[in-house]
Amino acid sequence: MTIADYPAVNKDVLSRRVRRWGALYQAEATLRSMRAYGGVILFASTFQPIMYILAMGLGLGVLVGAETDFSAYGADSYLMYIAPAILASTVAMTAGIEFTFPVMEGFKWRRKYYGAQATALTPPQIALGHILGVSCRFGLHALIFTAVLFAFGALSSPAALLMILSSTLGALAIGLPIMAYISSLRDEKGHAAIIQRFVIMPLFLFSGTFYPLTNLPQFLQVIGWVSPIWHANELGRVLAFGQPTDLWLVAVHIGYLSAIVVVAWFAVQRVFTRRLGYDEWRGRIPGLKADQRRQERQDAKAAATESYQRSEGVPPVAFRRGVGANYYSGNIRAVFSRGLTAIRNNRGIIFISGFLEPVLFLTSFGLGVSPMISGIEAADGGTISYAMFIAPALLAVSAMNGAVFDSTWNVFFKLKITKLYRTMMSTSLGPVDVAVGEIALALFRGGIYALGFLGVLVATGLVTPLPALLMWITALFIALGFACIGMAVTSFMKRFQQMDWMMMVLIPMFLFSATLFPIDVYPTGVQWVIQALPLWHGVELMRDIAFWDFGAMTLVHIGYYLVMVGVGGALAAYRMKALFLR
Amino acid sequence: MSISSALESSAPSDTAPAPAIDATSLVKEYGDFTAVDGITFSVRRGESFGLLGPNGAGKSTTMRMIAAVASRTEGQMLVAGLDPEQHGPEVRARLGVIPQQDNLDEELTVRENIIMYGRYFGLPRRYLRAKADELLEFAQLEHKANSRVEDLSGGMKRRLTIARALVNEPEVLLLDEPTTGLDPQARHVLWDRLFRLKESGTTLVLTTHHMDEAEQLCDRLVVVDHGAIMAEGTPAGLIREHSTREVLELRFGTDRNAEQAKTLEELLTGAGPDADFSHIEVLPDRLLVYAGQAESALEAIHAAGHKPMTSLVRRSSLEDVFLRLTGRSLID
Repeated sequence: MTIADYPAVNKDVLSRRVRRWGALYQAEATLRSMRAYGGVILFASTFQPIMYILAMGLGLGVLVGAETDFSAYGADSYLMYIAPAILASTVAMTAGIEFTFPVMEGFKWRRKYYGAQATALTPPQIALGHILGVSCRFGLHALIFTAVLFAFGALSSPAALLMILSSTLGALAIGLPIMAYISSLRDEKGHAAIIQRFVIMPLFLFSGTFYPLTNLPQFLQVIGWVSPIWHANELGRVLAFGQPTDLWLVAVHIGYLSAIVVVAWFAVQRVFTRRLGYDEWRGRIPGLKADQRRQERQDAKAAATESYQRSEGVPPVAFRRGVGANYYSGNIRAVFSRGLTAIRNNRGIIFISGFLEPVLFLTSFGLGVSPMISGIEAADGGTISYAMFIAPALLAVSAMNGAVFDSTWNVFFKLKITKLYRTMMSTSLGPVDVAVGEIALALFRGGIYALGFLGVLVATGLVTPLPALLMWITALFIALGFACIGMAVTSFMKRFQQMDWMMMVLIPMFLFSATLFPIDVYPTGVQWVIQALPLWHGVELMRDIAFWDFGAMTLVHIGYYLVMVGVGGALAAYRMKALFLR
Repeated sequence: MSISSALESSAPSDTAPAPAIDATSLVKEYGDFTAVDGITFSVRRGESFGLLGPNGAGKSTTMRMIAAVASRTEGQMLVAGLDPEQHGPEVRARLGVIPQQDNLDEELTVRENIIMYGRYFGLPRRYLRAKADELLEFAQLEHKANSRVEDLSGGMKRRLTIARALVNEPEVLLLDEPTTGLDPQARHVLWDRLFRLKESGTTLVLTTHHMDEAEQLCDRLVVVDHGAIMAEGTPAGLIREHSTREVLELRFGTDRNAEQAKTLEELLTGAGPDADFSHIEVLPDRLLVYAGQAESALEAIHAAGHKPMTSLVRRSSLEDVFLRLTGRSLID
């Protein structure tokens, strides 16, 4: 056998093989690149179900289980009722990530798809390869999740194993339309975040994951009917504990999900073929017209007002000397104003979307969970509504999320991808100017979001105006604490995969913060753990203010955040060089 | 010790202005890896100074140390009489930095890029409005003033990066491979702009691995390899010193180049002073015959019955100097 007979060099054999198996090669590439964050995936798949079971199933379950019976649905407990839905929901949320950023990476950031395009692979094979690759991740996630649920006795039927299929189908029904949309974009400018907040979040929160969909008012149930997550949830419940369901309804669930997958697959194929085929289409730029209009306006303004003038030499600029002159040039304003200009240039919708999340959470849990419990016992012995109980806590959670996102992801992105800080560091700015400017910007943004959410709370009567004002300041204070810690932590990060671990910290912190249920549902040992975490202090501080009920613990909460600001700030300052001068 | 103290005492003296950059025995280590290994050089004000070398030679690291964004492991450095490690912001205020890769702010328009960058220097808006107009004209980007950065071509982006770096009217301009990746036309436009800056008295420090660029722009240059300086001088001086006047390029086919080299070496060494033969470099694809009179050498080779597939006579360039000094070609 000479080397020319070798299939790898025989072009005829090779092209036949690629025609048949090409998608699998691309899938292998996808899986290999996923291996870079394999640790996160495995950890998330194991850790997430346990967290959800402990927090929602057992924590919220104590509250709900005391008053509501789920036997009509075929489930023995609240945990059992939500378990299959949590599985389907978390897989669908994963799809929201795997079909956005990696696709953009393929077309734009790392142009991986163009590498594949130069081989014998066809555009649909490249698309299918990605889908197959991430489906493996969904399957693995569902398998581990199912195993954990079995271990906790949350599943009663071996048919539950089929949830691997139903949840993957649900994930594809969510993911493929998103993939079609994202792959049609030339560049990602916050679109993934918009999809996350305006599409996935509502579809998840109103999908009857944590309560029967019928708990919601009629008009919100509609979102559930549309949501692939609801259909996947219901399929999961049939499989896991035999929820009594008409056969035609099961057929509707499967048919609806399959129909979306098929239609979206054709759309994906079409976009991929346009971009990677002979067209060499470069993708849409949403808002291009608006951009052009704005540009014309600016051009016209410039032509009308400014006659061309020559500058008269650079004016002298005073330098800060003395302590820390190497780190701080006294020009935080420039960093802040750059951020404002960038926000103004971006789509306004991204900015607005920030305050949507707490509103959606409040609507979903306030309306959906309330029918299952009669109220929460307040400190003064009375009873308050469930919505009143979670509202202040959600403000704290939102402050944390925003601050952490801005001080970790956003900072890391500007550090590694756009290299904005490198640009800033080639001017007379010092690292302290940059860090403080960025934190100020994060607080500015968080402050506006908090204002919006508090507006909703005051309007709905969940909070009175005076506490609301104090809560607004507290939200900024909480955000400052998390931003300082986030900045310090980011200075130790080297790769994007490490950033994923941050999310591994945030989700359990939210679940175990006593946001959705009082801390006393847990045994003392667990309570100590929760009380050691920062979010719990933020949540309790907000409640103290909202219910105007102050005590010694209020001071402890404030002290906790003062320490966070101090320690985080000091560490961030100490790591300043590692953060910006690398 | 005595050298460094002498340097420090002479730097701030009023009689002679401090050199734009004064670097002594610079060392930069990243863990076990030594990126810069004892580099010493000095750049006069108004001079155009080049750092030449292949990828990974330590050029960019040296630039980053000048620009006060990388610390030194050892050695002294004064930029306009100030230590960048002690006075980072103040040193950077006198510099214009043009990095290897354009790092324009994609969230801002072309004009905002220039104005914002000026704001980072603490410059007032009134000055910046006028300056931005001036720089947009300089970069031939007036018609793109309100466009988004992503709409610009590669050459436009490069020009904007350079224009932006001029917003503070820097005393020293640091250019890290200013024209890499540009098409020939865009390169010439850029060279023209840089030449004008040089005429107006700006000190230029540039790294490149393009010899023609170095010959075009540099008054003086150092050749760097493996973090150390191999040679220093003017482009013409370096060629005179390290190469012959002319070079004969011959191709005999990949398999035969090496064996032909031996034969030719013997032939030309015996050919007498007419050819002014120096030596032969063997590259994978061709032979470089260094001879003051390359035509004579070629005649001698033909006369001896050798039949190269192609032959070319040209003048020596910095590329040959580099090959002579380091034994390898620049772009590898």
